[in-house]
Amino acid sequence: MTADQRTAGTSGATLAAADAVDRGDDPARAMAEDAAEHHLMTINMGPQHPSTHGVLRLIVTLDGEAIVKVVPDIGFLHRNFEKIVESWSFAGIVPFSDRNDYLGAITNEVAVCLAVERMAEIEVPPRAIHLRVLFSELQRIISHILFYGTFGLDLGAFSPFMYAFRDREMGYALMEKATGARMLYGYNRLGGLRNDLPDSWFRELERFLDYMERQAWPEYMALLIENQIYRERTIGVGRLTPEEAIAWGASGPILRATGVAWDLRRAAPYLSYDQFEFDVPTGKNGDTYDSAMVRMLEIKESIRIIRQVLRILPDGPVLGRVRPNIRPRPGDYYSRVESPRGEVGVHLTTDGGSWPYRLKWRAPSFCHLQLIPLMARGAKVADLIAAVGSTDVIMGEVDR
Amino acid sequence: MRAAVALWERLWNTGKSMVVGHGITIREMFHKPVTVRYPEEKPPFERGSRSVPVLKVNEESGLLNCVSCGLCERSCPPSCIEIVQAIGADGHRKPWPETFQLDLSHCMVCNLCVEACPFDALEMADVVELSSYQVQDLIFNKEQLAELWKTSRALRVAGGECIDMGDDTVAAGVVRS
Repeated sequence: MTADQRTAGTSGATLAAADAVDRGDDPARAMAEDAAEHHLMTINMGPQHPSTHGVLRLIVTLDGEAIVKVVPDIGFLHRNFEKIVESWSFAGIVPFSDRNDYLGAITNEVAVCLAVERMAEIEVPPRAIHLRVLFSELQRIISHILFYGTFGLDLGAFSPFMYAFRDREMGYALMEKATGARMLYGYNRLGGLRNDLPDSWFRELERFLDYMERQAWPEYMALLIENQIYRERTIGVGRLTPEEAIAWGASGPILRATGVAWDLRRAAPYLSYDQFEFDVPTGKNGDTYDSAMVRMLEIKESIRIIRQVLRILPDGPVLGRVRPNIRPRPGDYYSRVESPRGEVGVHLTTDGGSWPYRLKWRAPSFCHLQLIPLMARGAKVADLIAAVGSTDVIMGEVDR
Repeated sequence: MRAAVALWERLWNTGKSMVVGHGITIREMFHKPVTVRYPEEKPPFERGSRSVPVLKVNEESGLLNCVSCGLCERSCPPSCIEIVQAIGADGHRKPWPETFQLDLSHCMVCNLCVEACPFDALEMADVVELSSYQVQDLIFNKEQLAELWKTSRALRVAGGECIDMGDDTVAAGVVRS
């Protein structure tokens, strides 16, 4: 029996797994029964597996070490975000949205703020707009540093993880000083930002950027990205074609790694991104090496953007005058921002009441998670870990 | 791509990257460690770090600043604040709270109650070691919240204010060139 025949043989397992999900049963049992007929093995990876980035469970059918079938099982971190906010005020949704993608909290807040501010026609002062750009990019740097660390850890390299956490903590210290919290900032308000920052903070930020650019970034490259063992583990692993990536709704570094230069900061500029010069780094092969490389280059581009923001940052208030009870205009409003992981979209429907009628959250990780079976086709178990790591999924955002 | 690279080149690169990688990690041995031995050693909080809203006590009178207006209760997105206004012996409502309960297990530390308060009665304290085996222990009454205000460093940041951070400490000891 060839590998192709085996794969064809287990296509029934997919249907059986889907039926089991419909019935409310565990899909793993249906898959295991089907796999046993073909002398294959079905194992669970997660939800407690340390390399699955949170509570992701992958049901994997294996032929020896080769992967025949992967079914991601999601929902372990479901918190009912979309339903809860239907009874919350618009101002309260902003800090709550931090909890979705907890490594890109600022970009979540900006997405909600943009939608609500468009709905209620709230003016945002120019200083606040520029500071939102600054914080989005600082968040991107911190998130990509963490990606670098955990991706190395997935591939068996422990040292990069420690280096990444050393530098990430510096970024979080800056964030804590500015916003009052390390991860879940609650910093954006409808109409601006919670508080303004003194000059000393900007001096520290510049020092952090200098450190990242001159010392940490070359160290990262030498320690992991240029390492031959790492290259052997990633080049050609988890390949995606541009057509597949677009068809499955991929965005962010995963899409750009396939060579599609699609970046919302450039393609559909929001905030004041149209005023800044930056490149959109792209890859060629769409493999895990390219998507990690795109993220590393994006760190440099983010540093470039923050420097430009600091140069033109105007004085003035950071919070516009907002009525305590905003008056919503009925209708549908959509805003999208480029989070560290891809396109975060907020579809807000209001009927004129004080609460949203419906809020749909478009999470990039949700789309990327569905790409894992595609990336893992014909691969070994270790390559599956590389594929999961390179998508940089945040389960808080997938399950919401 | 893997096949295209000659074997000797891959071997050479492997040896090279091992030397480079070990060079970086060995160099780290001669630097001061950046880790802190928690809980024996505790890193200082940044000024303005927030973890729990506490009730401010007027230092002259020793009474709470809270007048039980209920604006924080209404602005709280997860509804974790519960206020009951005091009623005096004369049957009239009094400007202080009979009960002020904060359910910390629901609180998401968003600072919205502090911004809503017009009487400077709420502040954000920087105590984080509040974990408990009983969820009931996380429901704080007004005496406990006032005690937290007295024993911790609290700060009020209203909307749009510039926050005073004191000396710059972030990353000061870490950057080396």
